[in-house]
Amino acid sequence: MRKYLYIFKSKVMSNLQYVFDLAGGMIGYFLHIFVFVYLYRYLYMGEKDIINGYSLNQMIWYVIITELIWCILGGRKLCYKISKDVKDGNISYNINKPYSYIGYVFFEHLGDIFIKGIIFTIFGMIIGFLFIGSFPNHSILSIIVVIISCILAMFISILLIMIIGLFAFYIEDSNPFYWLYSKVILVLGTLLPIEYFPTVVQGILKYLPSYVVAYGPAKLFVSFSVNNTIKILVAQVIYLFISYLLCVLIYKKGVKKLNVNGG
Amino acid sequence: MLTEVRSQIKVTMLSIKYAIMRELLNKVTFISNIIFMILNNASFLIQWLVLYSIKDNFGGYTFKQVILLWGMAAITYGFSHFFFKNAYHLSDTINTGRLDTFLVQPKSVYLQAITSDVTVSAIGDILYGYIMIFVTGFTIEKFLLFTFFGILGGISLTAFIIILGSLSFWFSRTDIIVDTGESLAVNFATYPDGIFKGIVKWILYIALPVGIVNYIPISIISKFNIKLLLLCSIYCILIVLLSIFIFKKGLKRYSSTNLMNARV
Repeated sequence: MRKYLYIFKSKVMSNLQYVFDLAGGMIGYFLHIFVFVYLYRYLYMGEKDIINGYSLNQMIWYVIITELIWCILGGRKLCYKISKDVKDGNISYNINKPYSYIGYVFFEHLGDIFIKGIIFTIFGMIIGFLFIGSFPNHSILSIIVVIISCILAMFISILLIMIIGLFAFYIEDSNPFYWLYSKVILVLGTLLPIEYFPTVVQGILKYLPSYVVAYGPAKLFVSFSVNNTIKILVAQVIYLFISYLLCVLIYKKGVKKLNVNGG
Repeated sequence: MLTEVRSQIKVTMLSIKYAIMRELLNKVTFISNIIFMILNNASFLIQWLVLYSIKDNFGGYTFKQVILLWGMAAITYGFSHFFFKNAYHLSDTINTGRLDTFLVQPKSVYLQAITSDVTVSAIGDILYGYIMIFVTGFTIEKFLLFTFFGILGGISLTAFIIILGSLSFWFSRTDIIVDTGESLAVNFATYPDGIFKGIVKWILYIALPVGIVNYIPISIISKFNIKLLLLCSIYCILIVLLSIFIFKKGLKRYSSTNLMNARV
């Protein structure tokens, strides 16, 4: 474990030198929130105060949290890196190293997004406060639970994107699968909570990754309850376990197919 | 003059042809890129279906108009990314000295710097745009107007990106400005203008190529208006001329690097 922590620490230190690079991402994040604030204000204008169990303020906080998780994640870069490692044969350099490729990429990416995560979270909270003027009611314990849920969502997302990246063992370019995955997460959990969907669909949505990587943490932030906490955290732990196993399995199967020419 | 323009277009088209041939080396990836981009765009229909189940009008747009707006945004983005992919990397081309390669060739530096590569998935965006015409009710008039505004919008969007990218002749790290400009144009283009108010609306119609490139064409397709059509055409010509002017002005400041590069 120490070697992985070392990889994580080195990445964090290296990213500290490039804090300015975050400016573009922060502007992009702000723009998304800006558009959704206008969209939801329009949606709630002249309608009931509560739609599908959410007030306007809750909807804005919801999208701030889900977009925050998504923007911090940097999934496109991760998928591209793994896909490129496989295609270019760079992955072969990692095979004979005294660490697992899965562990290496996982902790390297965590290190990559650590500083970004802290800065974006502060930025997101400021944006939310400026648009709404208040925070949802929370105790210290509930805040800790929300943070744990957000971290679990990140871990699951990283593993799921790694699985998609590793598809490159079987097809030339796995990036299109990432586009589709990102839109499933975006449309079925990031932009709208699952309560907005028809009741029949809600049952299915609870089993999709969007439930654990977007809806879960945001739901706990805007409307905390013990009942929801248990449901969401249990689902996240199960998802984390399964996605890790799948990731290792696909890597082990895929690496046997690896054929590197030259170098 | 005419021969020069014709020759330039021929070189650009050849450049695109070879880029496509290069991409076609792997047909599975080529096709999957296109199909997945169509699915990627189509996923947003779900968001609008859900929203329109609550309210039947968003900013004066019906459901059909919103998906046509999405189609327009997709075709302008697709056209721009397919034919002028390198416009989006102009800052990088300038900063890394890769402009040297184009300077020594007897063709327009401006056009060479922005063409010469294609984004395959952008074909998916263009096709998605046309699918939206069929979904919202096909007519020949709608098809022709949509194609016209798609091309016009793609050129205007490219010119806007070139203006931002050309700032690299004067400043460093303008890639962030280009990314932000693209983000602004794409984000706002897919939501009805009626939901925005005050200064934001002004920005969308004046500072960004969104109002004239996306919103006005949708209103023209719904109800034809020759004056608005002329306005869009004049805007396109002006923004292209402005981009050429800024690029050429900046090019005079460009100093070469020692980078060895070759176009194959």
